[in-house]
Amino acid sequence: MGIMAKSRIYSPWLFHFHCGGCNGCDIETLAALSPRWDPERFGIQLVPSPRHADILIATGCVPKQFIPMVKRVYEQVPDPKVVVAIGGCACGGSLFYNEDPDNYAILGSPDLLVPVDVYVPGCAPKPEAIINGIVQGILKLAEKKKAVKKA
Amino acid sequence: MPDALFTTITAIIMIPVAFFLSIIYLFLLRKFSARFQWRVGPVISMYADLKPLLGRSRILQPLYDILKLFGKDTVVPSVARKTLFKASPYLALACAFGAIFFIPLPGVPLLSYLDDSLVIASYLLIAAVMFTILGAASSGSPWSAIGARRESEIFLVYEIGFVVALFAAAMTYGTLSIWTIATTSSLPLLLLNPFAAVLLFLVMIGKLGIKPLDIAEAETEIVGGPYTEYSGKYLGMLQLTKGFLFYDMVGLFIVLFLAPMFGTALWIPVYIISAIVVVLFLSIVHVLHPRWKIDRAMRSYGLLIAVFAILAVIMVALALSYNWVVV
Ligand code: SF4
Repeated sequence: MGIMAKSRIYSPWLFHFHCGGCNGCDIETLAALSPRWDPERFGIQLVPSPRHADILIATGCVPKQFIPMVKRVYEQVPDPKVVVAIGGCACGGSLFYNEDPDNYAILGSPDLLVPVDVYVPGCAPKPEAIINGIVQGILKLAEKKKAVKKA
Repeated sequence: MPDALFTTITAIIMIPVAFFLSIIYLFLLRKFSARFQWRVGPVISMYADLKPLLGRSRILQPLYDILKLFGKDTVVPSVARKTLFKASPYLALACAFGAIFFIPLPGVPLLSYLDDSLVIASYLLIAAVMFTILGAASSGSPWSAIGARRESEIFLVYEIGFVVALFAAAMTYGTLSIWTIATTSSLPLLLLNPFAAVLLFLVMIGKLGIKPLDIAEAETEIVGGPYTEYSGKYLGMLQLTKGFLFYDMVGLFIVLFLAPMFGTALWIPVYIISAIVVVLFLSIVHVLHPRWKIDRAMRSYGLLIAVFAILAVIMVALALSYNWVVV
């Protein structure tokens, strides 16, 4: 494995993207990054801007007003990228999702809009589960070669 | 004055050495801060069962970050002024990188024996920050604009302290050549003029974005400040700039204030230890302080800089009138 491929695994930067939901998953996601688990040991860092990120952590279900933002934030993350959906809401809409009659405000999970690579179910998942999800995301990131640049 | 061949060879060797040292300094800052926060930080020796997947050690973590950024896609916002946006990281990196040749190591003068090396080094260090501000201002993003504004406000305050601290050293020894200061035979300036040392340390806090003054890149309020719109290789370049700037400032601090230890290369272990101590002090400041508000920073930081600048100048006057210095 070349040093470039290695460094992709060694330094995954996360962007925490709250797309809706009740905030329970966000609290657990931040707990997973706290000193108790300390993912910085392995170079995992929370970054402020999607442009710096490798892994997009999506929590919650998407309200209809929020659809363009989800698409846009996904597009702002430079390739290669991985999306990890955290929580029941992000995996399938959970209790906010209603097919018939259609929920007037909530679209459903973010995977209706952007490709999601890893699902971490739970309401809310434990920090251990979230870290496991991130690790799966890193493994997927390692597989993804540098994507072909869009023309 | 050393001969040209020796200078060229040492300058070429210096590039990887400075690069490695700046990576190590960045690592130490992260490691020390983590330890102060009761965390482990980037691991020095990886847990045995994770070695095949995660490598042996994370001492080079900042290097991996930079390499990864160079391997990523680069997004340029459509509203940016493209030429300026793309050119500024190169220029910032060039300035911070150029300054490494004016910072001597023990026994290795590089270009610091030039008559005005102190002035050249200070201009390069100022320009590196200026280009970071310029790139942020040209990116067309409001977050970057706020970041750039904050950076330039802080910049105006610490530059005064920077110039006073450098010229305190220059006036005490009566020379503008870093190498002449480095090989003086008098007491270290840290003892002769401790206020100037504190002043330069305060300047380092502002210049390197250490905690109470990281208002420019306050990630919780203005996303990434000047770095918000940068991605891929440009962000990698800015990270590299930061690393070199770190090396330059630590090196400059040691060379000006712990001076007489630059005669032979035998002093290199002492140099390394003092560099680690400087980084340790920086990390202590980093973990002990929350981020200041911009107006508070302008007031308190400006006041601190002003008081220490005046004290430093008074010490210079004392040193000169009582002849404490033998050059
Ligand atoms: S999965 Fe549960 S905890 Fe997470 S956002 Fe949805 S409702 Fe809240």
